[in-house]
Amino acid sequence: MHRCHSQSSDTHRPQQRRPRKQLRSAGPLLVVLQLLSAALPGVWSTRVCASAPQLAELPADWRDDQSQPFDLRTLQGHAVVLTMAYATCHRVCPMTMRRLQQMQRDFDRRGTSAEFLVIGYDPERDDAAAWHQYRETRHLTRSNWHFLIGTRTAVEQAARRLGFEFWKYDEHVMHDTRILYFDERGTLVETREAAGYETTLR
Amino acid sequence: MSTTTPPRASGRRAWVGALLVAGLGQTLVTHAAADDSDRIAALEQKLDQSLQLIRQLSARVNDLEAQAAHGTPVATVKRSGAGAAAPVAAAAAPPGTLAATQPGVPAATPPDSAQRLERVEQTVAEMAASAGQHAEDLGMPMHGFADVGVGNHNPEFPQYQGADIAELDFFLTPRLGSRTRALFELNFEVGSDGAVGVDLERAQIGYQFSDSATVWLGRFHTPYGYYNTAFHHGQQIATSLRRPRFIEFEDHGGIMPAHSVGAWLTGSQRFADEKLTYDVYIGNSQSISEGKLDMNNAGNTHGSTIVGGNLGLLLSGALDGLKVGVDVFQTRIEDEDLAPAYVTQVRSYGAYAAYDTDTWEDIAEFHVFDNEDLTGHTGTHRSDAGFLQMGYRAGRYTPYARYERGAFKQSDNYFAAQATGSSYYRTALGLRFDVDLVSSLKLELADTHLTDRLIASYNEALLQYAIRF
Repeated sequence: MHRCHSQSSDTHRPQQRRPRKQLRSAGPLLVVLQLLSAALPGVWSTRVCASAPQLAELPADWRDDQSQPFDLRTLQGHAVVLTMAYATCHRVCPMTMRRLQQMQRDFDRRGTSAEFLVIGYDPERDDAAAWHQYRETRHLTRSNWHFLIGTRTAVEQAARRLGFEFWKYDEHVMHDTRILYFDERGTLVETREAAGYETTLR
Repeated sequence: MSTTTPPRASGRRAWVGALLVAGLGQTLVTHAAADDSDRIAALEQKLDQSLQLIRQLSARVNDLEAQAAHGTPVATVKRSGAGAAAPVAAAAAPPGTLAATQPGVPAATPPDSAQRLERVEQTVAEMAASAGQHAEDLGMPMHGFADVGVGNHNPEFPQYQGADIAELDFFLTPRLGSRTRALFELNFEVGSDGAVGVDLERAQIGYQFSDSATVWLGRFHTPYGYYNTAFHHGQQIATSLRRPRFIEFEDHGGIMPAHSVGAWLTGSQRFADEKLTYDVYIGNSQSISEGKLDMNNAGNTHGSTIVGGNLGLLLSGALDGLKVGVDVFQTRIEDEDLAPAYVTQVRSYGAYAAYDTDTWEDIAEFHVFDNEDLTGHTGTHRSDAGFLQMGYRAGRYTPYARYERGAFKQSDNYFAAQATGSSYYRTALGLRFDVDLVSSLKLELADTHLTDRLIASYNEALLQYAIRF
């Protein structure tokens, strides 16, 4: 219920107020629309064909949450479940982690095994200590789970190759919730949307 | 955020010129895009060829390994194909370990052949990565946010009611190199007069010395407290429907200088499991014009500055997710609406705590203002403002509650000169629902009381639909 409202600055002040300047114009809208349309080809051109990604095609050198080198080539012969995340994500990544844990339980029930890889989106903020803390507090400490830190270039290459779209807004990372499954030969065989909105089989 | 419109004639000329420049830019970019498309196609073809070669080489390596394992002469063994299983020895080794790093090079394999193949494979992989990298570097991603709403009041300008468009915010981060950074935020927003205006909300160019030190020059969000740098113009990422009133942006009723134009050194350093964050900044002192704070984008006429800092500590262990900190700034604010201008020295001391986990998002922030009248003879004035917000993340739903208050001395010209500088308190209950990953619906019920300049109160029922793209 609206009882009363005022936005005025009604203080008792002795001086004369200067006349107000006119504010705002809608004209810049046209300029920005022009700039936006000019920029769009650049946006689309960043999408590189991601046909049949192989694990072996990703940058090989990573570090784990113990700051130890981790070579993706060592995963040859193992089924691999892979996703990307960032440690201070509290909306999307927790859903992804829950989905991974569910997959782990399914593997255990079936008596099969897989290596779980979580590649950090933001190596500048999420260092090994941050991921180690992340694992400890969320009880994700099984030895077949690997939280990987790469260089910014390696992370971006891997994301593009695997079709993870993300962008940074200050300390926030805007990203999706995909989970990829690679078979023992390192071939991508399934992609899932972790939030449950859709499932895609390749 | 005060966007002053120049005289109409020169304004038209400026926009015609800008349109021409933009049109020319579009032509050039379109032409460049066509070239880029050809180049990308060629690069993709090379990449596919490289990948095919890698697969062939991998198959050949597997053949050699299999032959060596069985002691079979190389020339007499049939190819096993690209899909051959990886060596058992590699599969048995723990992933990531040194033993597993070189899984399948048996002792019987001719060393020179194995090494040669590995070198070729590595070279092709580097070529493929390089080709992909070049293709990826083309263009500049553009992202942004937008939100619209409806309510019995406009959430920012309560004199309006009904449906509203709030903002369309473009966010650009061109890639300039490994250490050079740039960030621009161009915002179309509705102002207090109901008209759409454009603001370059942030325009920062920076250099990253290391993970622990980046210096920015330009216009940035003044790093006081927690909220002003944790949340920016994109409302979709914030839990609540709007910012606390006293730390709203300047043209939306905020009474603190949310933006500064100057230099900002920021970074973080880990100490054991804890992380220390810091901010130090200096910029043009703001002024008050037309009842609002103006961050003086072009500089000011007297050379005075805003100087401040922020120190935060991110805790770990049982307190993981908790950040506590303190901040301070001092600036000299001229009230340009008065002739002669009133000048106030503003000092703000703040403290904050934020508990941000997978389940909770709780924020508390408090500021004390110790202002001195440098023109008149009203002496010093102490005011304060703060808020407490609690949110609980339950899947797609996040209910939240917030209490905020500002007690601003009206004898202090800094507050008296601002249109929204009256004391108030507000309680709000809200619910955020994540429709999907890029959009959210928020409902907020709020009760606001103005307590000194005008004794009044009003209730609000607000709905917002916010997206990112």
